Amino acid sequence: MARIGVFICHCGENISATVDCGRVAETIGKLKHVAYSTEYKYMCSDPGQTLIKDAIKEYKLTGIVVSACSPRMHEPTFRKAAAEAGLNPYLCEMANLREHCSWVHEKNDMTTEKAIDIVRILVEKVKINNALLPIKVPVTKTALVIGGGIAGIQSALDIANTGHKVILVERSPSIGGHMSQLSETFPTLDCSQCILTPRMVEVAQHPNITLYTYSEVESLDGFIGNFTVKIRKKARSIDEKDCTGCGLCTTKCPQKKIPNEFEEGMGFRPAIYTPFPQAVPNKPVIDREHCTYYIKGKCKVCEIVCPTKAIRFDQPDQILEIQIGAIVIATGFDIKRTDFFPEYGFGKYKDVIDGLQFERLASASGPTGGAILRPSDGVVPKNIVFVACAGSRDPAKGIAYCSKICCMYTAKHAMLYKHKVHEGKAHVFYMDIRSAGKNYDEFVRRAIEEDYVNYIRGRVSTIYECDGKLIVKGVDTLLGAQPLEIVADMVVLATAGVANSGAEELAQKLHVSYDSHKFFAEAHPKLKPVETNTAGIFLAGACQNPKDIPDSVSQASGAAVKVAALFSQNELTREPLVAFVNRCSPPLYSTCVGCFLCQSVCPYQAIEREEFKNRDGKTIKTVAKINEGLCQGCGTCVALCRSKSIDLHGYTNNQMYTEVMALLNVY
Amino acid sequence: MHNLILKAKELLENKIVSVIIGFETGSSGKVRPVFITDSNKADSLIFDERCIQNLAVYLTKKEVKQFGKMGIVATLPIMRSIMVLISEQQLSPENVVVLGISGDGEVLDFADITVMQHYIEKCELGNPAKEQDMLATLNRLNMQEKFEFWQKEFSKCIKCYACRQSCPMCYCTRCAVECNQPQWIPVQSNNLGNMEWHILRAMHLAGRCISCGECGRACPVGIPCHLLTMHLVDQAQSYFGVYAGISDKMSSVLSTYAPNDKESFII
Ligand SMILES: Cc1cc2nc3c(=O)[nH]c(=O)nc-3n(C[C@H](O)[C@H](O)[C@H](O)COP(=O)(O)OP(=O)(O)OC[C@H]3O[C@@H](n4cnc5c(N)ncnc54)[C@H](O)[C@@H]3O)c2cc1C
Ligand code: SF4
Ligand code: SF4
Ligand code: SF4
Ligand code: SF4
Ligand code: SF4
Repeated sequence: MARIGVFICHCGENISATVDCGRVAETIGKLKHVAYSTEYKYMCSDPGQTLIKDAIKEYKLTGIVVSACSPRMHEPTFRKAAAEAGLNPYLCEMANLREHCSWVHEKNDMTTEKAIDIVRILVEKVKINNALLPIKVPVTKTALVIGGGIAGIQSALDIANTGHKVILVERSPSIGGHMSQLSETFPTLDCSQCILTPRMVEVAQHPNITLYTYSEVESLDGFIGNFTVKIRKKARSIDEKDCTGCGLCTTKCPQKKIPNEFEEGMGFRPAIYTPFPQAVPNKPVIDREHCTYYIKGKCKVCEIVCPTKAIRFDQPDQILEIQIGAIVIATGFDIKRTDFFPEYGFGKYKDVIDGLQFERLASASGPTGGAILRPSDGVVPKNIVFVACAGSRDPAKGIAYCSKICCMYTAKHAMLYKHKVHEGKAHVFYMDIRSAGKNYDEFVRRAIEEDYVNYIRGRVSTIYECDGKLIVKGVDTLLGAQPLEIVADMVVLATAGVANSGAEELAQKLHVSYDSHKFFAEAHPKLKPVETNTAGIFLAGACQNPKDIPDSVSQASGAAVKVAALFSQNELTREPLVAFVNRCSPPLYSTCVGCFLCQSVCPYQAIEREEFKNRDGKTIKTVAKINEGLCQGCGTCVALCRSKSIDLHGYTNNQMYTEVMALLNVY
Repeated sequence: MHNLILKAKELLENKIVSVIIGFETGSSGKVRPVFITDSNKADSLIFDERCIQNLAVYLTKKEVKQFGKMGIVATLPIMRSIMVLISEQQLSPENVVVLGISGDGEVLDFADITVMQHYIEKCELGNPAKEQDMLATLNRLNMQEKFEFWQKEFSKCIKCYACRQSCPMCYCTRCAVECNQPQWIPVQSNNLGNMEWHILRAMHLAGRCISCGECGRACPVGIPCHLLTMHLVDQAQSYFGVYAGISDKMSSVLSTYAPNDKESFII
């Protein structure tokens, strides 16, 4: 016989201000099978929990209903208390008297009546609750980090340093990401390559890190602790073991006029190339799309000059299948290019460039050796205009958000320009200066006060070319929206930061959510900024939203800790609130008819096939089966299954029916 | 008819199929389904305008399946039912040979399912004109009048489940109404319970019904329950642009999502 205990919480005054808790406790106490009913000011407090535990033992309770706040808040607390008193935690239910009652109603009798109803239906439910056991799943202690920018590098190193294996997958021929393209970095103006390169080398040499560059994730199966990833290792067309990285091939390749991606199109590279001198690994790749041999079937100059005979024209792509336990997504971001801006010439004007192009111009290793020369004719610009918020914070352009990094790098660019062209004039058009961050505002002030950068608050409406000059038309809103025209030699647009190409496809492959701008979505904007909605998959860096290096690195370390915490356990314990497809004796085996319509509806790919075979090994029936490791207990399949063959532990059809019937006063 | 008999005999004699599901004239002169396992008996096969039953319902019955590979005389609704059954993994294409009958009664030779698919694609797939007219009349009623119409119809329902038994897509070994833990749908016939049963059946066939009308014909008390599922045929078409049973690899509209799905039905 059921012996149910009911514990009504006042939640300070949150509940008791509108609900007559005494009356609820008394009325419920009179219900059949309720062995104990009481009220208390704070059930979640230590004495409150002790009260529950004592009552469980004293009244030999077979189930309890804690009537308090939302289960999202304290269900774990009370289930743990129940377990400590020897009651299976899943025989503890919570009635939400706060969000569902006291907070949304006035103080009156009806509110108290509603509270009684809410508790009553849960009393009926808990009577038929089953004791459930947690699900245990083993953990594969190898992490996959996708993307080898600074965020991916940091995460990989941090995880590797906790003693766990890391697979780092980077789709371009070298790790480094956007940071490798930067000249100097705010707010300290230290050289980007100088601080990045040692980290890249550390990755390459770390015994716990396996690096796959020029590789991409092909598919992902499985669940937290137990993923299987397929990685496509694209053919580099060289044998990495034989190649010494001497680079002779890259100097002899006759195909020399391919726009250089690393230099943002402001220089050329051959068909066999290493993206930049500090590349890791320092081994070239053949760009088959542009290589004369792949186009015309003739050439092979690289093969002839290679001293170690490392060129492999017929190398195929390789698909590697690897078991992993956790994933860090660190695929970074990209920026809008100048062709996104019709008002600034659609990218037609050679001297209207974007921020990354400016980084390359300012970089000592860049196409101009660090001299600020305008791309059209190589002349030093005497008058330069920087346009912040190009595309960002502009709902009309579909980008309502602030790209966060542009204010800072624009100040940096203006400063770098002034340091190199002392007599030049730098103007910055801005909407607001957003320089929150340690030493950030000081940095911007320095640009204005020490380097005399001319900050103009207002937007630029158009830019057009006239007599070899760029006419920049804007307004100065601090001077009463006065129209303003600057005749410039060069314009740098701080274009909006956007999701990296392929982010959406990757999100779909990994089954993680992404936002309307295709940035990866965090599980909770405040409390779970590093987690995704898919257990075991974490985020680091600018793949979540545009971020600067310090933010990317902090998040990367955060993600690494999440992975390390996961790997500190040999087995994972999961809540047993998962779906199950019924089973019964042969010849029926299950009422499931194997239509598998539930399979396509499951958002977590948790539904598998199970075959029943006869003695001769012939399949006599195929039915659905839930993978308990993957199922998140969303219940979609339960609602879909026509023959009602699926049920959800903790929320069975029977339990739901009982609740509804209790509400209709059938019990 | 002659061609049909020849084809059936050939299939049976060459042991390509073990049974032919078709129509014959019964003792009272009415058309009835027949299951022929002996080629000598194939002469009784007929096909004329009275042969409208959806024979696909037998393809999932174990009493018929036990014979082995099945041949079936199939009009368009039967072909489409076969497509749904294959899509929903209730029938293996290797286990069935379709003796197609075209709209004007010609025997069609389908080398395989793909050929049949091409044939179906060329056909008119909407509800039959008569039913479409009835639906149009019904849809002119206001909400209250419609509700009253159906309540009156459902009050006649004796819960014999003939509608369900006659529908090829109602192949569940245990129907939801037979589930008694909990008993969501009451066993006895009463107004609320009847309404629940019909809503449940209609929803289970939403996007799966192929407009054969068999359920309505099977009903002993004349409830036009096929109009419910046929209305959903229209809805599936207007919301998602699909008709059921046009390929052997379809997923049902209610169990798939596409980013461009209309959401106008969300209120
Ligand atoms: C013009 C400009 C100037 C800047 N200046 C500064 C500065 O001075 N100081 C500062 O703090 N920050 C600066 N930033 C910001 C800085 O670039 C970023 O914070 C940083 O690059 C973010 O690192 P990340 O690793 O998250 O992304 P990224 O640097 O974008 O790296 C992502 C990596 O993932 C790889 N990848 C992408 N997709 C896949 C895939 N599907 N599979 C495998 N690999 C993939 C990419 O190839 C890349 O290597 C600047 C940014 C810009 C645009
Ligand atoms: S569980 Fe239900 S929906 Fe899934 S295959 Fe079985 S019968 Fe179909
Ligand atoms: S409950 Fe949700 S997650 Fe679990 S199997 Fe069903 S649909 Fe998939
Ligand atoms: S009504 Fe639904 S549950 Fe019943 S047999 Fe038809 S499809 Fe299956
Ligand atoms: S008309 Fe009736 S019998 Fe025919 S498929 Fe539709 S629901 Fe089934
Ligand atoms: S066949 Fe007619 S009477 Fe029988 S259950 Fe269906 S609607 Fe009701």
